Amino acid sequence: MNKYFSTRLSITVFAAPALILFTLFCVYPLLPQLWMSFHNHNGFQNLGFVGLNNYWSVMQQSSFWVAHKNTYLIVGMSLLIGLPLSMILALFIDSQTPRLRRFFKTAAMFPAILSVIVISQIWVAFYEPNWGLFNTILRAVGLDNLTRSWLTNSNTVMVSIGLTFLWQYIGLNAILLYTGIKTIPKNYYEAALIDGATPFQVSTRITIPLLQDVIKYVLILSTLGSMAFYAHVRVMTAGGPGDLSRTVIYQMYYTAFDTSQFGKGTAIAVIFVVQCLLISFLIQRFVAREKVEF
Amino acid sequence: MKSNTRLFLTAFLACTMMTAAACSSTNAPSPSPSPSPSTGTTEQTNSGNTKEEKIKLRVMTLTTDENRNNIMDQFIKPNLAEAFPNLEVEFEPGGGGEDMANKIKTYNASGDMPDVFWNDAGFFTSLNQAGNIMDLKPHITESGFLNKYKVPEALEHFDGKIYSIASGADTYFTPVIFYHKDLFEQAGAEVPQTFDELIEVSKKLKDNGIVPVATPGKDGWAPKLFMLQQMVQIEDPEAMSKLVTNETDFNDPAVVAGVERMERLVKEGVFADGIANLDYGPAMEMFTSKRSAMLWMFTWELPNMAKIEGVDFFPFPSAGPAYDQNKVVQFWGSPLNGYAVSAKTAHPDEAVQLAEFLAMQDALYFESVGSAIALETGNTASDLDPLMEKFLTWYNGAEVMIPSMALNSLDARMSSEMSTQGARLLTGEYPAADFIKVMNQEWEANTWFD
Repeated sequence: MNKYFSTRLSITVFAAPALILFTLFCVYPLLPQLWMSFHNHNGFQNLGFVGLNNYWSVMQQSSFWVAHKNTYLIVGMSLLIGLPLSMILALFIDSQTPRLRRFFKTAAMFPAILSVIVISQIWVAFYEPNWGLFNTILRAVGLDNLTRSWLTNSNTVMVSIGLTFLWQYIGLNAILLYTGIKTIPKNYYEAALIDGATPFQVSTRITIPLLQDVIKYVLILSTLGSMAFYAHVRVMTAGGPGDLSRTVIYQMYYTAFDTSQFGKGTAIAVIFVVQCLLISFLIQRFVAREKVEF
Repeated sequence: MKSNTRLFLTAFLACTMMTAAACSSTNAPSPSPSPSPSTGTTEQTNSGNTKEEKIKLRVMTLTTDENRNNIMDQFIKPNLAEAFPNLEVEFEPGGGGEDMANKIKTYNASGDMPDVFWNDAGFFTSLNQAGNIMDLKPHITESGFLNKYKVPEALEHFDGKIYSIASGADTYFTPVIFYHKDLFEQAGAEVPQTFDELIEVSKKLKDNGIVPVATPGKDGWAPKLFMLQQMVQIEDPEAMSKLVTNETDFNDPAVVAGVERMERLVKEGVFADGIANLDYGPAMEMFTSKRSAMLWMFTWELPNMAKIEGVDFFPFPSAGPAYDQNKVVQFWGSPLNGYAVSAKTAHPDEAVQLAEFLAMQDALYFESVGSAIALETGNTASDLDPLMEKFLTWYNGAEVMIPSMALNSLDARMSSEMSTQGARLLTGEYPAADFIKVMNQEWEANTWFD
């Protein structure tokens, strides 16, 4: 029987249904978009072939680069702040008694299961400059000079939205990492304890190295999730003020739907797909390549 | 080898069948209802139809504010079943502004337009070019609905066709400054007559811990819909009229001065903090809860404002001798704003009748709250609220009526850019000169007048 499942033909046969569906629903829809990106298209009418003009034109817009800066800022916040915090939270949950662990796991998951709309509206209220939570606290402790209109100030708007995003998903990532931690055999920790290792050493020498497959998964999830960042921006600022908080996805939507320039919108989409593929490839190629066995 | 191939083929077939079964929909397509005979009149037919035989129509309406919700809850829904026993109407909340525009544009692009929808000048061109909007003129002429309008010609687009029908209330919509009289008294402020006085009054209010002005600034709502136009026309109404008709551009000194006035308003702290991200609802709430002394808003909110004790309004104060605040108004009305019908609906007669019904329900609502309307409802006029009476006296006395630039001069791209640039101007971090530069580039690419 084994010979049936080890040949190239058998692999092809069993992979074919999934491959056909993937091609049909994921690859094929990209082709008309690629075609549209070379045309002057207003969404319902093709106004002619323009070659690479759409690409050239969108790259000359300052909004395009603002959107890239914002998108990669969110990716950076997610990876450099969100991921370490999720790891710390996962280790913290793991160190609790079973009862507290249940409480923290529920609390950590709670923001992730709430609607983005609800979360965003709550944080808009927190950031409200006249009576919002943050400015009220700052005024109460005498730090009036630090109060500001968080969502209309060009220096704070994107970080403010990013913090909302982090707050929502740190817990979810922590649960994923915690689940990974629970798969590590107990005897590793017992041996370390006998050798006199500190909790910090246990985390950095045992837990994190043995978690690399889960970390890689969370890394891909966080990176691509951050790159597709849209809903929070839509609700909290509508990309504004002006174009200051637009992400690449938002800029694509704005160009295609708000200004009826679908050719240019799809050009942005194609550029972005290439970036996402490149980043996925880099993560797959360079992060956690060695198989962990325990 | 032969048996191996047979096994592989069997396995492949089984996998494919399982996948196909998993992906297939359990909802088998139901037979489409057979269209009932069209009457071409407002009379409804076949009230004895069973539920299965009802004609299904999709409607997308405005759901932007309390007025629209009241119209839906108090007029449309209670009266619909009685008026159209043969219809099953599915309402889709459209929101408003860019949200609604994007939904309609998406339906337009996909060719899946609702049977009846709220049309807007901002996205009309796309619909018309795609052949997705019906000329209602032959239908409403035949049904006699057109004769119910005080000025039927006002419904015609410049191509002579009628694309939308509404209550006509929007002809009376114009931006004004609502204010709390007691908050003005508390701050020792008088109603300003000039732009400089407006700045001074705002400073007095601010010194008394009162936010001077609330208005929706998120997504550039107020700057695009009225603020820029007001700031230009309070000094030079003629220049504003010329801008609306594309006889001048954003380099016009009067337009530049108007934009600079907007910049000054922000820098002088006239608006609430965070104005550039202040949404419609929160702006209204800020005023109605007396956290701001003034509200810059269209008079479609006048019936609601009249219910609040101590609220009055005044026109935008003057910034030059060429503007008389009692003789110049900006008006919102556009023949393109109102209920429209998809040119590709399967039930054109029923859809037009439904559009007529919806316009009439709007009229009945606005009439019930004391607003002026252009569509005859057959009811006798009730006593007007004093605030509405004051408004009508002022509005009807105007000699120069400038159409809304937002509705009558901007294509989709220009409209969106004006939102973007307007919101940036409200941050106070964006110079008027940059706004002018970008808007001029967009104005040159504006296809509205092509």
